[in-house]
Amino acid sequence: MYALGVDVGSVSTNIVLVDNSGNVVEKLYIRTKGRPMEAVRSGLAVLKEKYDDRQIQSVGVTGSGRMIAAIQIGADIAKNEITAHAVAAIQMDPEVKTVVEIGGQDSKIIIIRNGIVTDFAMNTVCAAGTGSFLDRQAERLEIPIEQFGDYALEAAVPVRIAGRCAVFAESDMIHKQQLGYAAFDIIGGLCEALVRNYLSNVAKGKELLPKVLFQGGVAANKGIHKAFENELQLPVFVPPHYDVMGAIGAAILAREKLEREKKKTMFKGFSVSDAEFKSRSFICSGCPNRCEVVCVLENQKAIGYFGDRCGKYNNRSFSSPAVYV
Amino acid sequence: MRITIPHLGNVYLAVKILFDSLGIDYIIPPLNSKEALRLGSKYSPEEICLPFKLMVGNYIASVESGADTVLLVGSCGPCRFGEYSELQMRILKQLGHNIEFIIMDPVSSIGLNELFKRVRKVGSTSKKSALSKMGSIFLAFTAMKLIDEIEAAAHTIAGYETNPGEAKGLLSSCKKEVFKCSDPIKAVNILKQYSNRLKAITVDYTKKPLKIAVIGEIYTVIEPFSNLYIEDILMDMKVSTTRKLTPTWWVKDMLLKTIKLNSRELLNASNEFLPLYIGGHARECIGEAVLAAKEQMDGAIQIFPMGCMPEIVSKSILPSVTQKKKLPILSLVVDEMTGEAGYRTRIEAFLDLLERRREHVRIRC
Repeated sequence: MYALGVDVGSVSTNIVLVDNSGNVVEKLYIRTKGRPMEAVRSGLAVLKEKYDDRQIQSVGVTGSGRMIAAIQIGADIAKNEITAHAVAAIQMDPEVKTVVEIGGQDSKIIIIRNGIVTDFAMNTVCAAGTGSFLDRQAERLEIPIEQFGDYALEAAVPVRIAGRCAVFAESDMIHKQQLGYAAFDIIGGLCEALVRNYLSNVAKGKELLPKVLFQGGVAANKGIHKAFENELQLPVFVPPHYDVMGAIGAAILAREKLEREKKKTMFKGFSVSDAEFKSRSFICSGCPNRCEVVCVLENQKAIGYFGDRCGKYNNRSFSSPAVYV
Repeated sequence: MRITIPHLGNVYLAVKILFDSLGIDYIIPPLNSKEALRLGSKYSPEEICLPFKLMVGNYIASVESGADTVLLVGSCGPCRFGEYSELQMRILKQLGHNIEFIIMDPVSSIGLNELFKRVRKVGSTSKKSALSKMGSIFLAFTAMKLIDEIEAAAHTIAGYETNPGEAKGLLSSCKKEVFKCSDPIKAVNILKQYSNRLKAITVDYTKKPLKIAVIGEIYTVIEPFSNLYIEDILMDMKVSTTRKLTPTWWVKDMLLKTIKLNSRELLNASNEFLPLYIGGHARECIGEAVLAAKEQMDGAIQIFPMGCMPEIVSKSILPSVTQKKKLPILSLVVDEMTGEAGYRTRIEAFLDLLERRREHVRIRC
């Protein structure tokens, strides 16, 4: 019996199957490409080949696309990614006191004491230093993102880059590059700048105690990892499943919830991967709020609505609000 | 003269009652929406704070419906709000609108004579006697107080009500009904009725909902569109919220400021962390956080527009409040984004933190 965990993020959609003893038996990493429902659908299609609906005991979703995914696959719980990441980190390593998580568009810090989240923070309005920005820089320099970190490790003299804003960082990088600085040094400098920005913005005022876990897609970047260790003067650990921790957390939370409530899963089955999902949006003219309402369609049938404040459409959603607690 | 006002929460309801009662011609702009934001950000300086942009959006919508005068409060203060009116006048002028601005600046900055002159400018279009004008002002203030009380009660009850959603439903139908009513006396009666209906909601005080104080910059805590309707979101999540900054509080604060007796409680509470006035409502924000801890709230959420100087200062002080007073605080920065996913994530995670923390505290005791 497995718990299915789905993390629909801005850059990647991660799907995991966790067995009863907490081991990750299956792990999929799919690029979201701006189409969350398609990413989830294609992921389930892969799992469908190997697994049976009856093997799935519980389903948890997380990530910025959790609402839509919950409706799409029939989730037992839709949890925010901060809690999901914290739960997974505590499960992986009960000693953890600090979690640094950098994903596609978010960076977070989670402070844990005695296995309880005591504080957290997320980047505010700017996404400088997150995965999508690194992706873009890798693309611009024509370096595969997987090797980006190795380039940084090669830096002899990291160049100083302004890390406060993604747009400024990029112009700073281009200016330095046009002056002839080596790509290694620029990438090394960028990693340092992003870590500096993270520590003075996201982690400001927080007490970073060991053990520090570094998770999220950006943890694959060795340059950033090393820059964190240098800046913090602490060992920073990257857990083995660093890239799918959110999905693991969602799976754990879903299992815990069903066990606590002694309920059966709401999972709609792997057949979901054969259905056609679409969404359409319209502006409700019911009142001056003029809400942008999104309607999710499964095989042309409306299965859920989002975005209205008064509940006129929301209440018609397929999944019950109990999913969100 | 056709007067318009920018939106700030439910102030438009009280202003409507005031102008209806005085018999002054007015235009209330459509409630803040993406359209107001679109118009406002098109014509405002890019780096100005969010309230400015929404206000410009309101003016333009009103001007298009025929308004020729803007009534607005000012501060002459050391935060950007002090420059709002001057800049907004220029923007509307450059757009070719010949609009008069009547600005209610604080007495301490412009003196009592000048303030009366400005008030008379508004009042002169009313044919009512001086005595009945006083009556109208009193009626409007009563209405404002009632609306604030109704809102506060609904926000608190939301955590305790037996039928979830009842308080939220009453609150929204109350606003609609009052806005439709053009008889000021009747409008105030509607408010009174709703106030009683709210009190009659069945509540279960054995429930232990999370209690959160909403603190921060005054415009963004009061105007729901600017904070992505945070109080509605929290009501849906069955959280009981309180907020000390209300339009009524603001009026009292402005009046009492002249004799330096304004919001003693908040300012005294802030002394330990921020004993100096630094502009805006930074001291109030810190004071609210300290009081929230004293009132045994579970946490506080600070909201402010991006680039808000006073609140940036308070944001960096709040971690010490958290540490000393053991009150978790979440800071949310609002700007032109209307995508809710990231916002909800932070709120939900904060509620999780508070819940787990409370369970933990209970276990330890």
